Amino acid sequence: MSRISGAIHEMQTIEESASRDQWVNRLHPLVKFLVTLFYLVCVVSCGRYDLPRVLGLALYPFVLFELTDLPLGQALCRLRLVLPLVCIVGIFNPLLDRRPGAELLGFTLTLGLLSMLTLMAKGILTVLASYLLVATTPVEGLCAAMRMVHIPRMIVVEFLLIWRYLSLFMNEVQKTTEAYRLRAPGQKGIAMKYWGSLMGSMLLRSIDRAGEVYEAMCLRGFTGDFPSGRFPGAGRRDLVYLAGFGAGILFLRLFPVLVLIGSIVAR
Amino acid sequence: MSHIHIEVKDLSFSYGQDRKILDRISFTAREKDAIGIIGANGAGKSTLLKLLVGLLDGFEGSIRVEEIPVEKRTLQRVREKIGYVFQDADNQLFSVNVYDDVAFGPRNYGLPEEEVDRRVRKALARVHLEGFDEKPVHRLSGGEKKLVSIATILSMTPDILLMDEPSAALDPRNRRNLIRILGEFDHLKILTSHDLDFIWDTCSRVLVLHQGGILYDGDPDTILRDEKTLAMVGLELPLSLTVR
Repeated sequence: MSRISGAIHEMQTIEESASRDQWVNRLHPLVKFLVTLFYLVCVVSCGRYDLPRVLGLALYPFVLFELTDLPLGQALCRLRLVLPLVCIVGIFNPLLDRRPGAELLGFTLTLGLLSMLTLMAKGILTVLASYLLVATTPVEGLCAAMRMVHIPRMIVVEFLLIWRYLSLFMNEVQKTTEAYRLRAPGQKGIAMKYWGSLMGSMLLRSIDRAGEVYEAMCLRGFTGDFPSGRFPGAGRRDLVYLAGFGAGILFLRLFPVLVLIGSIVAR
Repeated sequence: MSHIHIEVKDLSFSYGQDRKILDRISFTAREKDAIGIIGANGAGKSTLLKLLVGLLDGFEGSIRVEEIPVEKRTLQRVREKIGYVFQDADNQLFSVNVYDDVAFGPRNYGLPEEEVDRRVRKALARVHLEGFDEKPVHRLSGGEKKLVSIATILSMTPDILLMDEPSAALDPRNRRNLIRILGEFDHLKILTSHDLDFIWDTCSRVLVLHQGGILYDGDPDTILRDEKTLAMVGLELPLSLTVR
């Protein structure tokens, strides 16, 4: 399977996973959206050297991965393009800030190193939490949730259309590269001189197709709003999820669980 | 005489400053008509269908759908009455699974979820795709996609069905299936196609578009046997009439 086919397949797998018939998929999208948003705020608001607290917050995605049967390894594999970028953030901090910050097993950790590790952990956790949301909620559900919290319609529609456009564009890339490969056997990749025209034609074709998809949506009554009929009011199960996970995340944010456990063990 | 559903009067249209694709064409379509629009590539068949549902604007003349003039402010009302099936089913299907795609239209019209569910099941039953509701769209075959794209329209219970090249890329079995489904749709339907055998099997009236105008408007039997006229517009006799 080519890299493009692989990417298309992975995107389809995420979409399929979002429409599985599992308890977490059946939860109201607004509830999942709010819990994820709250989690992201909690992670991002941790201090720049507060690594133990951030690591404590890792419990949320791990618990959810366990409860939803979504394979963590596969998720990390799917996020392989984003995670290195996340990890690069703050890579120079250890060189810039060499003041001692903490001791671990007799080694002194500098503040620069601590801030780099904290940033990396924050990045990984926010990406994992967002992945969990996308992998358990169909894109229409996400859009409906965004509209329910009054995110402007234009932004939500833009998000939906970009999501749809991405797969169309990838399909066009796949078709074009396959057509090229078949007529250039033995060649590795696409020759530099063809990149301009290939990119141009791929863009034009995918824009045409995106236009037709948008027309098909409009012809079936799409006006930019997301009918709430499909997502009736939140039920008891949704409220339990909201209260339970909300309280759990707040607890992890307020109390550095790892430090507490460490001090109990040390005693 | 049955009720007029579509009335086109002196319709002209061109893309930009280019030559006129349609030049002062007029016709009416009645409740139970099954109209096939034929013509060479670039004759304006798809353009005409897009104009009828208001996907293209900037035309001259008038189009009325059930007495409603097709213009920007009436588009929603017009589109509630017309179902349009695209040539490429891939462009019409955008949800993850079949159920959500077929439910997309009814949900947008604010129907209660029980009614949406009833319509989805009925539409899928009409195209003989019961049990396909949870299937991911990208796993369907070309023929199945075409049938699902018809179901997405049937679930909106339109009064008029427009189809652009419906038989394109269908294998014989799916083609036969589609002919049967179209036969069961007893409202006005307008199809464009190069497949004259398909037109013969499904239509009771044929419009031939040529050089921006309507060259012929009448029964299929006459025009589809008229080799000379067909050749003039760049078409050939239906395969079923070809003597080998």
